[in-house]
Amino acid sequence: MAKRYLILEDGSVYEGVAFGAPATTFGEIFFHTAMTGYQEIMTNPIYHNQIVVFTMPTIGAAGINHRADEAIGPMVKGVVVREVAEVSTNRLQSMSLHEFLLRHNVPGISQVDTRALTRHLRETGSQKASIVDYPDDHAFDQLRALVLTNQEVQQTSTPRAYVNPGRGANIVVIDFGLKNGILRMLNDYDANVTVLPYTATLEEVLNLDPDGIVLSSGPGNPHDIPDEMLTLIQTLQQKVPLLGIGLGHELFALANGVQVEPMRIEHHGMNHPIREQITNQIMYATQAQGYQIVKSTIKGTDVFVTHVDLTDGSIQGLRHRNYPAFSVQFFPDTAPGPVEATQPFDDFMDMVTVRRGG
Amino acid sequence: MTKEIVDAMAMQRALTRITYEIIEKNKGINNLVIVGIKTRGVFIGKHIAERLQQLESAEIPVGELDISSYRDDQAETIAKQPLDVNIDGKRVILVDDVLYTGRTIRAALDALMDNGRPAVVNLAVLVDRGHRELPIRADFVGKNIPTSAMERIQVNVEEVDGRDSVEIE
Repeated sequence: MAKRYLILEDGSVYEGVAFGAPATTFGEIFFHTAMTGYQEIMTNPIYHNQIVVFTMPTIGAAGINHRADEAIGPMVKGVVVREVAEVSTNRLQSMSLHEFLLRHNVPGISQVDTRALTRHLRETGSQKASIVDYPDDHAFDQLRALVLTNQEVQQTSTPRAYVNPGRGANIVVIDFGLKNGILRMLNDYDANVTVLPYTATLEEVLNLDPDGIVLSSGPGNPHDIPDEMLTLIQTLQQKVPLLGIGLGHELFALANGVQVEPMRIEHHGMNHPIREQITNQIMYATQAQGYQIVKSTIKGTDVFVTHVDLTDGSIQGLRHRNYPAFSVQFFPDTAPGPVEATQPFDDFMDMVTVRRGG
Repeated sequence: MTKEIVDAMAMQRALTRITYEIIEKNKGINNLVIVGIKTRGVFIGKHIAERLQQLESAEIPVGELDISSYRDDQAETIAKQPLDVNIDGKRVILVDDVLYTGRTIRAALDALMDNGRPAVVNLAVLVDRGHRELPIRADFVGKNIPTSAMERIQVNVEEVDGRDSVEIE
């Protein structure tokens, strides 16, 4: 197998072996600690343009199964693993991880010391990286010249509205980089879903007579979203039950006067216990978090904390004091992840049903 | 034939939702008092109070209301039991397990008024099964369960019945 190299902006070089596409790639690197769900992670639009490092030592043992797609293809720009499984016995698979990456022209690199790499990234925080054939000066020059876009939501949000029909409640999803899992969950309730681009106006939303609004998860910095969206959320939360997820949660916070800051060490995994304050119950959920709520800015606003991460103390859920509107930082669509975390969808659809007079 | 139509999990979630709705409607928990109608209303009321306390770290008083002497189908021979919490000027959440004809709530309102002058009384019930005989409605409903008058709805609570569930017979 051909040798390849993973190089980082700070000059570090990791040698490995090629798999997937033989292309050269650039992107922001991050590590994911989940032990399952590599396909969902690679196809989640929240990781658009990024290079993923899996800390799980063997990746690919379940092959690729299109029911696990979170988007039409992979969203990541590169995949870094310790070892690619050579054999997969999953009867649902339609191809191997290698074939999948090859088909979508995404390069991978295996035999990398991902433990050392993860420790290093924990020290430095996320940075630019590249998978190349040879780590020469030219490669580093190219890497340093790379400008990371702040247009991630623009690139992943749908350009025009579309319908995912159902016979139940009328739900409007505002797409900031929607993953399939959210639609899959709403399908379970037979919701009639209309997905609107992130540029949706108040009139466009209200013209659909929504019974409920979902602000989707998505990539990037919540501060890059135009202020009009915050105004829109402020108005919508007074009229219709609202659920924010991930980036949608951060926007819900900003719209209600709570500040959001980047985390020094981003959190991507599913091993943090999360406590639901009202019932004191613990659950585990998939988290993909680069930003967090600034705790000290909640006091004096109209929102209160509903979920807390017990490992790092970060806030995982907020709710409005006066309106049926709430949000969670983690992924309640459980794709991938523990199914115990789907409760926010039940709660949301319950709220919708109550307000429809059910 | 008895059939479980709400399990323990769904019952807990319904109480959680009611708790959030109480916060929304009252813009917080200031001046709030919960009054449960004996027997199961009291335990349901306590579960709501526990949730409010988890969220707002403030203790909400829970009163136990005995309406036996206020019922319209019994001679007035039972001694009236005074309420064990102060409701004067308070926002009272009256809690019962099942809302049916409305006669229990009518009696409970009489009993409440004999014990003071609340600022507001809201009604929270776990199940609304319809068939009202009086102009009474609930502000917070856990589950709307349309029933026929022939059917029987039984709410079980852990403290009394050993399990949380709603059954129809």
